[in-house]
Amino acid sequence: MTVVAELFPNGITELFQWDPVLFKGTDFGLNKTGIMVLVSMVICLTIFLIGGRKRALVPTGLQNVAESGYLAIESQIAVEVMGTEEGKKWTPFLASLFFYILFINIWSIIPGIQFPATARIALPGLLAIIVWVVFIGAGFKTQGPLYIFKNITPPGVPKPLYILVIPIEFISKYLVRPFSLAVRLFANMVAGHVLLTVFAVMCIELWKHQSGAYQIAFIPLPFFGLLFMTAFEVLVALLQAYIFTILTAVYIGESVHPEH
Amino acid sequence: MRIQRLLAVAMLSSSMVIAMPVTAHASEKTGEIAECMVKAAEKYETAKEEGKGDAALFDEEAKACYSAPSPILPETGELFWGFLSFAIVAFGLIKFGFPALRKGLADREDKIRGDLEAAEQAKSAAQAADSDHEKILSEARAEGAGLVDEARKAAEQVRLDLIARAEADAADVRARANADAALATERAMADLQTQVAAMSIGLAERIVQHNLDAATQTALVESFINEVGGSRA
Repeated sequence: MTVVAELFPNGITELFQWDPVLFKGTDFGLNKTGIMVLVSMVICLTIFLIGGRKRALVPTGLQNVAESGYLAIESQIAVEVMGTEEGKKWTPFLASLFFYILFINIWSIIPGIQFPATARIALPGLLAIIVWVVFIGAGFKTQGPLYIFKNITPPGVPKPLYILVIPIEFISKYLVRPFSLAVRLFANMVAGHVLLTVFAVMCIELWKHQSGAYQIAFIPLPFFGLLFMTAFEVLVALLQAYIFTILTAVYIGESVHPEH
Repeated sequence: MRIQRLLAVAMLSSSMVIAMPVTAHASEKTGEIAECMVKAAEKYETAKEEGKGDAALFDEEAKACYSAPSPILPETGELFWGFLSFAIVAFGLIKFGFPALRKGLADREDKIRGDLEAAEQAKSAAQAADSDHEKILSEARAEGAGLVDEARKAAEQVRLDLIARAEADAADVRARANADAALATERAMADLQTQVAAMSIGLAERIVQHNLDAATQTALVESFINEVGGSRA
């Protein structure tokens, strides 16, 4: 606890919360998380606005990143889940979502920052609400006013069972989905951030507070744990962005293709 | 376009959904802090009255009122900047970034398809030209072979003609030579006859003119022959 108190003099919540550096005292206080999302926004826009405008026959650099990234989302997520026509139509939204989340998640391993803005509930919650509104809107647009009713009454179910099925379907499709989307992303990124911190604190503790020389021998354990978790966080960052996007595609696909 | 409109509606409605609880949360949070501070102050006052007042403890408690906010409830500023940044990313990419990228990909696809088709056409044309050339070449070869054959036949014919003509000429020459020889022989024979006759006549005349003994006759004949021989040489 001594080390934790030394490392986090303002309390352990400092792991996740910072005071605003701009617009202090207002509802728009810009803290580390806010700065991070703005920088991620700039990275996203730079890659796709500059890379997307290049016209080399053999793409390299930014053009290569932008094109292969966009095509990967189109072929691996959008078209795969929603079919060719709808998939191509929704790829821009899905690609925006994927790369926005990815470039925010990846801060978890950037030295000096090592914190993803998605480890704060605000951003996953916000994105989940946007997705929720989008897939419900798409459903109403495609299937008409009875969209929700059609979706919670699966065909082939005996009518008496509708008493059970309708509430279950409604809760699972319209209440749980945004919640699970947000919590999945949030919890995974929080867990990664906490694990990295734990390993780092263990290294510092073993180094700074040696009560006996034998402690030094154990430093490699948390150190390699830290290295491994940093590499693992890259995978988690990518995987969580992918999962969030593919689930979004599944929800939208279900709304625009009721037969599926 | 419809998707973009839908997204705009989604962003707007989600901003409204989050704006309300956030504002409530902000005021709620301020209220909580104030309440916490009042409690700490009351506690400090009570302790002071009991003679146990500790300013450092109050400071700690007062600090605790400001720290340890809920890690679950979203912060207004983060929601605002998150919403703003995602709105800008989605708008910028859906409106400008991806359409330009898609156009680039489509242009390249068209170019590659066009180039491939052109190459295919060029290949077909080359194959057609090749087969034409092959045909022309085989025709030329056939024609050449025909010409050579014809020339060979003509040459053979010419050779045969020449041989025949040569043989004919040779036969002609031979016949003419034979005829000439025969004629010359005839002429020679005629000359000889004439000369022999003339000589016989001359000899007879001499013999008639000179009735000679045998020795004289012999001498006369020899003399005559020598004379004739000398005149012929």
